[in-house]
Amino acid sequence: MGPLIVNEIISPDTNLLIALLIGIGFGFVLESSGFSSSRKLAGMFYGYDTTVLKVFFTAAITAMVGMLFFSLFGWMDLSYIYINPTYLTSAIVGGTIMGVGFIVGGFCPGTAFCALSIGKLDALAFVGGLVLGIIIFTEGYPLWEDMYKADFLGAPTMNEILDIPRGVFALGMILVAFAMFWVGEWAEKKFPREEY
Amino acid sequence: MKMRLIIASVLIPLGIIIAAVPENKTKQFRLTAGELLNEVREGTQFISTDQIADMLVQKDPSLQLIDVRTQDEYEKYSLPGSVNVPLSDLLSEEWKDFLDQGVKMNVFYSNGNLKANEAWMLTRQLGFKNNYVLQGGLNYWAETIMNPTAPKSVLADDEIAKYDFRKGASMALGGGSSVVSSSNETKSVKPPIVRKKKKKRVAGGC
Repeated sequence: MGPLIVNEIISPDTNLLIALLIGIGFGFVLESSGFSSSRKLAGMFYGYDTTVLKVFFTAAITAMVGMLFFSLFGWMDLSYIYINPTYLTSAIVGGTIMGVGFIVGGFCPGTAFCALSIGKLDALAFVGGLVLGIIIFTEGYPLWEDMYKADFLGAPTMNEILDIPRGVFALGMILVAFAMFWVGEWAEKKFPREEY
Repeated sequence: MKMRLIIASVLIPLGIIIAAVPENKTKQFRLTAGELLNEVREGTQFISTDQIADMLVQKDPSLQLIDVRTQDEYEKYSLPGSVNVPLSDLLSEEWKDFLDQGVKMNVFYSNGNLKANEAWMLTRQLGFKNNYVLQGGLNYWAETIMNPTAPKSVLADDEIAKYDFRKGASMALGGGSSVVSSSNETKSVKPPIVRKKKKKRVAGGC
């Protein structure tokens, strides 16, 4: 909600309230899409259920196209968008830990809380592990501080790295997403699993 | 399957359009002539001398004063903490990061309003944020802050408060030599700086 706070259109408290409402909405959509089922989520990695891929990539390309058009019409200034800075080493290490946890546990952090809210016990175990990981990370921070901050790249975007126009990259991303959807649906037929 | 086709038939054409649009049009933020005229008419770019004096006295780190006069004029007299970016150098690459940033509040000033306004219009049109103009420029600054005229006693309290503030600011900012008190007055203590209520920043300047 960056520009709204900076320009004193809304207060930080209102911002938090809006964030809470958006969070509830997000959780509701996750749950109603079936993302509180660890089997559905893990199905992504085994090929029998690619809902996760389809939902997240559809959301990503819709948001991407929406923002580019808003910028084109002058409704939105893209320079206001906060881009998380890239620390390459920690992104790779963290991504690996997250991926392994995802396959083993069947949740990512967001969906774990979503599943916990409807009383799933496996999610409770997962959230326990998540808290443990947070404690290990924070308490052992001096040990991995150097690794955590290594290879700082600033906040680059993919089209800048590839040196192609933003719109062309967006089109490529859309085509890649649909190719993946097609492969995903092919895999669902190839590796069917009984209804759960 | 069908849903995928529906989504594809919407998103792929949109992707082709966005890929075909020239990059600079999607990247740069420009105001239409009408929008710029509206801002000029409403004068949203102006910041009063009192507000700047207040910020200078409070050593507000978010303030960045930019003198757009020539270097000679800048060397003769300038506001405390200001930097000199002559109008002719405004578009040079050297100053780009300085002018195009969203952190500090850039306030252009010149002798009057003219040059500062020109600098503001150029930067506004380039889409740079947080750029403002010192209303009335240095001439008005000298008149109101450096040599404030005492209000007539019948005037309202806030006029007197304003005068007290200006007198205090004038002393604090190294001016005020011409505001000599009458000789029969005993050597007075430094006039207190009456802090004005923090004004909200000019809206609509983003």
